[in-house]
Amino acid sequence: MCGIVGYFDKTGANAQPLGEVLLRMLEALACRGPDSAGVAMFGAHRPNYFVAQVKLGDNGNNTDRARQVHAVALNFGAQEFSQTDSYLRFMFREVDDLKPFLLSVESVGEDVEVVSLGRCLEIVKQVGSPSCLEQAFNISKFCGSHGIGHTRLSTESVVDLSHSQPFWGHGYPDLAIVHNGHITNYHQLRRRYEQHGVRFYTENDSEIVAMFLASKLKQGADLRAALASMVMELDGSFSCFAATDSAFGFVKDPFSFKPLLLAETDSFVALANEEIAIRGAIQGDYVVREAQAKEVQVWQR
Amino acid sequence: MAEIDAAGRSTREINAAIRQSIAEVGPEITLRNPGARHNLAVAILENARIRIAGSAGYYCGGLNDGASIEIDGSAGWGLAESMLSGTVRVHGNAGSGAAAALRGGTVVVHGDAAARLGVSMKGGLVIVAGSCGYMAGFMAQKGELIVCGDAGDAFADSMYATVCYVGGQVANLGTDAVLGTMEPGEIEHLEETLSRHLPLDLRKSKPKACDFKKVVAGRKLWNFDKREWRIWQEAL
Repeated sequence: MCGIVGYFDKTGANAQPLGEVLLRMLEALACRGPDSAGVAMFGAHRPNYFVAQVKLGDNGNNTDRARQVHAVALNFGAQEFSQTDSYLRFMFREVDDLKPFLLSVESVGEDVEVVSLGRCLEIVKQVGSPSCLEQAFNISKFCGSHGIGHTRLSTESVVDLSHSQPFWGHGYPDLAIVHNGHITNYHQLRRRYEQHGVRFYTENDSEIVAMFLASKLKQGADLRAALASMVMELDGSFSCFAATDSAFGFVKDPFSFKPLLLAETDSFVALANEEIAIRGAIQGDYVVREAQAKEVQVWQR
Repeated sequence: MAEIDAAGRSTREINAAIRQSIAEVGPEITLRNPGARHNLAVAILENARIRIAGSAGYYCGGLNDGASIEIDGSAGWGLAESMLSGTVRVHGNAGSGAAAALRGGTVVVHGDAAARLGVSMKGGLVIVAGSCGYMAGFMAQKGELIVCGDAGDAFADSMYATVCYVGGQVANLGTDAVLGTMEPGEIEHLEETLSRHLPLDLRKSKPKACDFKKVVAGRKLWNFDKREWRIWQEAL
């Protein structure tokens, strides 16, 4: 199952905070994914700075971990640290090569993971319902231009924070994805990426979508081309939403295995895999339609 | 005319209220605030007229036997699935699997239909005023499937004896689907069917009956013949 949602504000002057729209959409799909919930939201650009969300660990007291990650991050000029539950969030000056930073931070512990990184991307996710997510992170107050969200029903891999969605396109700033479906050539693709030195953090087949798109974007493709290549190179079922700092889009697999509804007006684009999520969050008169097989659409910020 | 408010009620309560209203008040019902909820007006066995004032979610009007259901907005997956008799009309678009396994009655979609329209239908009439997606009419056995706009990939794949008409372009025909020729009187029958079921302004904006393509089964898959293994290799 899994619930996926996406919202893109075309006007740049939404009366409602982005987080509130996404939360309402997710709450409507809570029953579609009771295991975990998460959002990836794009706020204001911070020139020359990256914001990182680092997962400190899965269980227990993270105070020591927070101190260790804090110390490592200081070497990269990090500032404005804040800790919420399992996360340490901070800012640091933009670098061209992220590898030294990621390696240093993630070598603090085996389950330490940079969950989100970008100039305007913020991902928070955790085990539990959308309302738990709201309680922990107060996402409804977040203002921004676009975002995606996920409620997870785990079918093949464990339920924990790392296996939750959205996934950051690890190593590529400001790329996030949510996926409903199964990628059946996951193991084959994963082996190929691992041979090229890509590290995987989970056993979740959706992670391959993030890695795949990150790799395409690194090679110079735009988001539309990268999503279109999923139709050719990924097998199985996927309704997938992806977003970067400047673009927002979706792709549906060639067999149309999974639902994907969209509503577009002059002021917004809303995506979900059940119309109930769109109607529950956005009042007014607009048309909803199901996307066709192989359909790709991208909107630019 | 009875009104039922879906807001704040469970699906079970809404459907029970519909049944109760038919039994106690009468056959005319308007369902307010449907909010694209799933399984609305499922398995109604009376000659009722139910208007859903908004969008419906998955499986609306499924197993319907006699009711006339009208949806003001759009409908989700599995619209009127396995309907036996009656009418289901959607003013907006329909999700995947609309009219799947239809056994009788009429399904009319004013907008577009997504993938797997009318798959395995065993009777009845399906009319889509807009276009339809991937694999419409797959393994369909009886009845009529009419698409005024374009049809997606693998149209009418592995079909038995459903007759299809397409007013626009067919992206590509499925395995063993072939273009048929109109019999005498068939164009008139098609025109009459479309005029009867589509509102006048909508009918006017669609192709003339004589411009529709007819698509039927090539009958190559009806009986297995090992000398024709190539067809089967492609089909399976």
